Amino acid sequence: MRKFFPVEELARDERFHTITMRDRMADPRASRNLNADQSRRSSNRLSPDRKDASDAARSMMHGIFVGEIQALEGAGRTCWDFTTGGEAPFALKLDMARQAWDEARHVEISVKLADWMGTEIGQFAENTVLFEAACSHDPVLRLAGVNRALEGLAIDVFTTMKEFGDLAGDPYLEFCEDWMLADEVTHVKMGSDWLRRLTEGDAERRAAALEFQSVVDKLFSYGGTRSDSDESIIGLARRFRHLAGFTDDEIDEIADVSRQALEEAKERKRRLQERAAAGAAG
Amino acid sequence: MADPRKPRPPFAPWDRRELPGAFDVEESARRVGHYKWIEMKLFEALGGWVATVPELDVKMRLGTHCYHHAWHAEQWHKRLPELREMNPDRLTVPPNDEMVAFIEALTEPEAPELTIEKLVGVYRVLVPHKVAAYTYHLNNTSQITDAPTIRALRFVLQDEMEDWRDGEMLIQSLLDTPAEVARAAEHQSKLEQILVRAGGIAGPGTIGYAIPAPEEVTA
Repeated sequence: MRKFFPVEELARDERFHTITMRDRMADPRASRNLNADQSRRSSNRLSPDRKDASDAARSMMHGIFVGEIQALEGAGRTCWDFTTGGEAPFALKLDMARQAWDEARHVEISVKLADWMGTEIGQFAENTVLFEAACSHDPVLRLAGVNRALEGLAIDVFTTMKEFGDLAGDPYLEFCEDWMLADEVTHVKMGSDWLRRLTEGDAERRAAALEFQSVVDKLFSYGGTRSDSDESIIGLARRFRHLAGFTDDEIDEIADVSRQALEEAKERKRRLQERAAAGAAG
Repeated sequence: MADPRKPRPPFAPWDRRELPGAFDVEESARRVGHYKWIEMKLFEALGGWVATVPELDVKMRLGTHCYHHAWHAEQWHKRLPELREMNPDRLTVPPNDEMVAFIEALTEPEAPELTIEKLVGVYRVLVPHKVAAYTYHLNNTSQITDAPTIRALRFVLQDEMEDWRDGEMLIQSLLDTPAEVARAAEHQSKLEQILVRAGGIAGPGTIGYAIPAPEEVTA
């Protein structure tokens, strides 16, 4: 078995349809969908009063399901890809093995929840961007990209889904999301602690890791999907991020990056509308 | 209630534990070091394979079992300093080169259509050998002086037995044709032969008998 597994070779059965982040960015529907009926709503946040609440929640749950598979694969690969001691401390690899188990449970939970919500495996495309963040050849970058950026996003997503379950009167959904949220806070804290320990006395490496995290954070905020604004489907879970070891400054920075991504998405939408209007006029 | 001042025997009549054991401190530490090494190799391999298997149920079990073996490695890592080995890395080694060759052969399959080989190597060869080695240690070490190792062995063995059953059921669910049965048997035989040459996961004498070299068998 090779070290460092290419994202395009992730093993899936025939039900899955994988796309890359590039495919998603090239799809103009991503911009069009933002605030598609904003004029009729005060918020774009996932809530039961949205006309498309069922489909949006199902889509998000399927996204969680495939994201958990990739998180499981990423944690597992960190156990294999790096030599113990020389490249990654024994204790870090034990933590990654523990995370693999947690992610396996999350796959089990989310596949059952997806079924509960009436979704079939493969009903939505699988974006492999999460595993791409787990492909770095430097374990510190993996911790920054996966445990801090990706698992941080998971905190935001689970908080949003937990609130959705509460508002929709679905205690089954709320219960499960709350349990997964507890694990994600642990994973982010794990990432924060290891990042600090592994870059102790190496300011350059730490800066590179935080920069990588920022890039991944922006990628995950693509299209304005996640931000402090109600215009985003997913909110920024500040309290749980605090618990996971993020400082106020770090959360503010993610909020800025997310807001910027939201503004960019709105600008893309405006340009598309102008182009469409010009086409109709011509 | 009985008189609390009345002398009682230090060992209750039902407590039949004995002091003598087959291993001294050094031998117990040597074995524990080999256990840690093999558990590390196994959890790393299971973690690596997760991304390579397309079967969703297998993928999730590998992720779960990956942690079990990492936890076992951690137990043995913690036990080593208690056995006077203050540098656990010194004893975290394979018993011989054959064991290294075994791990290389075990972890060789990568392609998505080789799930049978991956599972057979772990659940029909390595895990049964681990169960044998741990059981031998459990049954032969001093029940009093080496009680901490015994406690760890019992927890570890519980995982091993459950994982063994999980893995065997996955293998049976994947074997549909005579050709697949033959594939499984062939791979099992190939790996078993290497492990026999290694003498087991702790080297010759893993389960008491020092396995004779092939030339002695044929002589």
